[in-house]
Amino acid sequence: MASVTLKSVYKQYRKVEAVRGISLDVAPGEFIAFLGPSGCGKSSTMRMIAGLEEVTSGDILFDGKSVLDQRPRDRNVAMSFETYALYPTLTVFENLAFPLRAAGSSSADTARRVREMAEIVDIGDLLDRTPGRLSSGQSQLVGLARALIRKPSVFLLDEPISHLDTRQRALMRAYIKRLHIDLGYTMVYVTHDQEEAMALADRVAVMDLGLLRQVGTPEQIYDRPADSFVAGFIGDPPMNFLEGRCVKEGEQYWLVRDTLRLALPPRLVELARIGTLPEELTLGIRPYYITVFFHRNDPLDLPGHVYVVEPLGEMAILTVKLDQTRFQVVVPPDFHAERGQPVWLKPHPEHLMAFDKVSGLAVQ
Amino acid sequence: MLELISVTKKYGKTVAVDRLGLSCAEGELLVIFGPAGAGKTTTLRLIAGIIPPTSGEVRFRGQSLTGVPPEQRNMSMVFENYALYSHITVFENLAFPLRARKLPDAEIRRQVQRMAEIIHIEDLLDRRPGFLSGGQRQRVALGRGLIRDADVYLLDEPIAHLDARLRHQMRGELKAVCADKKATVVHVTHDHREAMALSDRMVVLNKGKLEQIGPPGEVYHRPASEFVAGFVGDPPVSFIDAEWTQDGGTAGFRVEGQDAPLPANEEIREIIRARTSVGQLRLGFRASEVEMRTTKDERHTVRGEIYVVEVQGHRNLVTVKIGKNMVQVSSPPGQQGKVKDMVWMNLDPGNLHIFADGIGIYHPPASMATARAQ
Repeated sequence: MASVTLKSVYKQYRKVEAVRGISLDVAPGEFIAFLGPSGCGKSSTMRMIAGLEEVTSGDILFDGKSVLDQRPRDRNVAMSFETYALYPTLTVFENLAFPLRAAGSSSADTARRVREMAEIVDIGDLLDRTPGRLSSGQSQLVGLARALIRKPSVFLLDEPISHLDTRQRALMRAYIKRLHIDLGYTMVYVTHDQEEAMALADRVAVMDLGLLRQVGTPEQIYDRPADSFVAGFIGDPPMNFLEGRCVKEGEQYWLVRDTLRLALPPRLVELARIGTLPEELTLGIRPYYITVFFHRNDPLDLPGHVYVVEPLGEMAILTVKLDQTRFQVVVPPDFHAERGQPVWLKPHPEHLMAFDKVSGLAVQ
Repeated sequence: MLELISVTKKYGKTVAVDRLGLSCAEGELLVIFGPAGAGKTTTLRLIAGIIPPTSGEVRFRGQSLTGVPPEQRNMSMVFENYALYSHITVFENLAFPLRARKLPDAEIRRQVQRMAEIIHIEDLLDRRPGFLSGGQRQRVALGRGLIRDADVYLLDEPIAHLDARLRHQMRGELKAVCADKKATVVHVTHDHREAMALSDRMVVLNKGKLEQIGPPGEVYHRPASEFVAGFVGDPPVSFIDAEWTQDGGTAGFRVEGQDAPLPANEEIREIIRARTSVGQLRLGFRASEVEMRTTKDERHTVRGEIYVVEVQGHRNLVTVKIGKNMVQVSSPPGQQGKVKDMVWMNLDPGNLHIFADGIGIYHPPASMATARAQ
């Protein structure tokens, strides 16, 4: 396993700036996930690490040595999209044995390692089949096993499980995470699925428009997002935002937007007092941290109307119309309300996050 | 009322839909849910009349639709691949079904504007379909399907191609607009969240056969089969293999690798006794229905080993190995417990789902499941 260092990596395709100066250190054995919407530059970044794309400027180092002049196969990276390139005439066993034989492994050693890997990836009973007789999920497992078996210095996975159904995806996610723990490979994973990135990675690198927005542990990016983009991209259902102006009345500070008024929590009031709180503010609150009342309980609560309730089994999502905006709240699965019914929302003050409305940066 | 009466569709030797019987009341939103190849789209096409059943019949308001061509069924169908008119604007695409009804211009504009808001394409009305992204085209197709006045709306994965954020938002909008119109809707999806969130009742299909039909809460809390339990929910139900034992007077479930059997209550013993043969038993539970501790106590008696811990933000999802079985348990964020730690779980059969030969034979009382989920 190797460390991977990106130094001001920049990638331009004709007029499109795909990656706009990314610097990042990936420790040996670390599992890092590049996460972002389509077009954010995450796949380009991975392809540059693999050597499939040239770097426009900047440097990429493995274990401190630049790899820019090395071809992909000399970098000893493995890639998950090898999944789609199984040899159709060979059995699963032979497909797995191929990279080992090519590297000169003895037949006894090859057989042992194939069986070991088949056990880890749980394809032991498929070894005699040819790829044509595998389901897409099974082919993906075999592809994964074949990529892993030759002990790459860096293992690159680009959306490897996005085509699986929910159950297979949950299982594969657990396998990949445990494989990483058991094998200790350096892993770089690309996904647009925030849940997957959070579940798998030691650290998540959130990208948008070719820039790195935040790099942190899953807990850090969930609990302390660097800006409103990260805050809105991480978490499901997504964070609710309320944009407005910060207004002082007596001793209390409010966020005011049209007819809505939300009291600022003490932490933000302190900042307002010393003058470091932006006047134009966006407050964010996750749907898990709001209490719903059917009666006006506290003059500080936000009044609204029930728009729709979506039961999801272990919980339900309530969408409330608040003046011009909408908030989503996670409520118990048996929550019942009529459409249009008035409700009052109390965001839990300790979970309110504040962002500069103009720059989007978190107010700490 | 729309009814399918023992409808079968065969393609050569392949049975795509197998003796399917179901009904959809007027104003009901029925969701057909299942994996690829379950027969979902075929069922929708049978209702629309695009393909004839091999046997059985489709009825609407008591009348058989056999021999009635699709254009005479007054059903509006939205396909997964959006068939828009490419030479006219989005506005005209949406207005098309209204113009056919000779509505006044002002009314057409009002309805198109309203639909454009619902499907979030207000600023695209002047464009032609060729200039739209796949997700935008899909929304226009949905809008055009919904803007019509039809007896039944047939929606085939109408929001499947949207990115996750927009899909979740559109799901709520779709539910609201169908409720406002009091529309009779049959909606096909492979996304269990969409199925749960939208449906008045959901139909779970597998390999052309009906596995279960019922309100989403019932399908979730009282899955009729192992298939349903293992397919609905995220994560779906976890299973462990068990054997029935009456050794030493205490009747219960023996789980491989555990010291003592899990004692069964009287109700479960009755159910097992009533069976001619016990069959292949499995115990099931949802991640939020059980708890895990790092020390053994009176309630937490089933031993397992942590396989992985996944962070979800508002909670952690822990995969635990119990013998050969992998199960998933949710735990509060930041809770201790790391890979390869030994843990103890509270698996009281009275609080679990019990399956025999793949069929659900016992479910915990609903109130209990709800209370624990909170």
